[in-house]
Amino acid sequence: MSDVLHPRPSPIIAAMYTLRDLDADVIVMHGPPGCGFTASRLLEEAGVTVITTGMQENDLIFGAENRLVEVLKRVDLEFSPRIVGVVGTCASMIIGENLEAAIKKAGIRSIVLPIDIHACSGPNTVGAIKVLEVAMSKGIIPREEFERQKEMLMRATALERERGMTSKPYLKPHRGVTKLKVARMILDALSQSKNVAVVLNAKKETAYRFADVMRAVEYARRRIGGSAVYVANVDPNIGLPRIRRYSADILRDLKDEGITIDFFSGGLDEYPVAGEKAAKYLEDKSIDLRIICGLPHAIPDLKKEDILVTDQPRELRNFIDSGFAYAVGEISTHSMLMGARGIVHSELGDTIRELVDGINK
Amino acid sequence: MKQIAIYGKGGIGKSTISANIAAAFAEKGLNTWYIGCDPKADGSMTLLGGRKIGTFLERLRSSTDTTEPAYVLGFKGVKCIETGGPIAGVGCAGRGIIVAVQELYKRYFNDDIDVIIYDVPGDVVCGGFAAPLREKFANEVYIVTSGEYLSLYAANNIARGLENLKVNLGGLVCNSRDIKNEERIVDKFAEMIGSGMIGFIPRNPIVRECENRGMTVIEGFPNSTQANAYRRLAESILKNDTLVVPKPVDPEEIRVLLRENE
Ligand code: SF4
Repeated sequence: MSDVLHPRPSPIIAAMYTLRDLDADVIVMHGPPGCGFTASRLLEEAGVTVITTGMQENDLIFGAENRLVEVLKRVDLEFSPRIVGVVGTCASMIIGENLEAAIKKAGIRSIVLPIDIHACSGPNTVGAIKVLEVAMSKGIIPREEFERQKEMLMRATALERERGMTSKPYLKPHRGVTKLKVARMILDALSQSKNVAVVLNAKKETAYRFADVMRAVEYARRRIGGSAVYVANVDPNIGLPRIRRYSADILRDLKDEGITIDFFSGGLDEYPVAGEKAAKYLEDKSIDLRIICGLPHAIPDLKKEDILVTDQPRELRNFIDSGFAYAVGEISTHSMLMGARGIVHSELGDTIRELVDGINK
Repeated sequence: MKQIAIYGKGGIGKSTISANIAAAFAEKGLNTWYIGCDPKADGSMTLLGGRKIGTFLERLRSSTDTTEPAYVLGFKGVKCIETGGPIAGVGCAGRGIIVAVQELYKRYFNDDIDVIIYDVPGDVVCGGFAAPLREKFANEVYIVTSGEYLSLYAANNIARGLENLKVNLGGLVCNSRDIKNEERIVDKFAEMIGSGMIGFIPRNPIVRECENRGMTVIEGFPNSTQANAYRRLAESILKNDTLVVPKPVDPEEIRVLLRENE
């Protein structure tokens, strides 16, 4: 039995996000109205319609197949979706609801993906893998893509166990050190003509914010000197359709600022392996300061003087407790990115800009 | 108030025994409730002239009206309730039992009641099926078994459930299948698990006959030796104060016991 005590992301939520990445139009949560509530709100901001069958006590006892059938019919009428995901919850899975049977009975025109999953199924990645598996069986993604994604997700789970949030029994949230201290370090390095590397190793949409650090460093470099190397996992040819769009958006915005990526370490769903590639690439580059944004723990040999930028308060606690004095937090990153289609300002980025503008005055 | 739960292997005759002892209590003038916990809702039929009644959960589901009584009056005023539950293959029967038992307790059970009998389906398979055993609900359990291996095996399993839940066993009821040395076998097995045999019900074709007519033996053949067997059992249960948490045995010991009595 796992002795991790802090709450972790649930496979149900991971399944919902993966459905979104497949460009599902509607997600039906088959369970009590509150299941996945916070995630549902965020996903709605990202343009996915999330519906609940609103199970009640009686449905637990007698089953709620009819409810699901009715809801699917209404979804068909009201939204005429192309892809619908039906996601199980603890309530429906524990009583053994038959999602497939209900979908057949509803007989709607959309492609409907039944996702038999509940929060007790294991790590969150289990939910994502389940969705990909069903998507493959319905011909939405090819087998090779499924295999690649599955490999990435299993690597992600392993990474979390080794160095991430599930490596500690309990992590008290931490907000990270102040941005001022870290921004000064970056500007000092640049003004001493040092070589700074910015590594973006982000997961999916969080890249919209972490990529801003590259923009800010470039902004500073142009004004005060130094050199910079940019490494990022934003290969626009890798991943599910939505994920490729994210990479394309980011590359477009970087190009607008005259930034070119020196090395593509992978796609936005490849952070568990992209980190290794990034570190390898930088090995022989004589870098004076590394700034690692997104999921820094995926970089194999972090140095204590590296600047680590991440969004999860427990991740930050993990870094701080492990002696990384320059771990800064872009808290609430995820929630501000729903529906974003371009790079979003970061706090560290804005602090750098502010200091640079002050210096120049 | 005596609150008892009857467990035992499926098909062993729990409902027949529950209904007959309910009838025996009622004819003594005791305020008796029979709670059938099987989703099939057919346990109380012999108390009700063969009639099947609407279920408690259906009632909860379809109306909020709790002013009319939840029970249907059966033989000699036994108050009959069928909890009901899902149709086969959907929903969760265990959850149904939990909700029904809690609601009944909250809304209807009071100190005027002398005996509540929970007729529970099969084994203690999950938390739901164990619901009648929780504190406040049943405080003693009777296991119906015969001298056959499979029903003793099931009885042993139920004893394991009771041990886990630290619930008292009142004793074993032998519902005879006309096996050689049956009484001795069940008696010995009861002793092995730290309990005793509280009653022996002989096999008798009039049981089937009464069932076909939709009545208990107590109603159908009140003067028969069979009816008296049920009355004796009811009396023993009423007087019983040896309650122990059972200690299940290794199923192999059951085989040894059976071989010794072949
Ligand atoms: S019941 Fe399960 S799916 Fe619903 S909120 Fe709780 S953990 Fe999440």
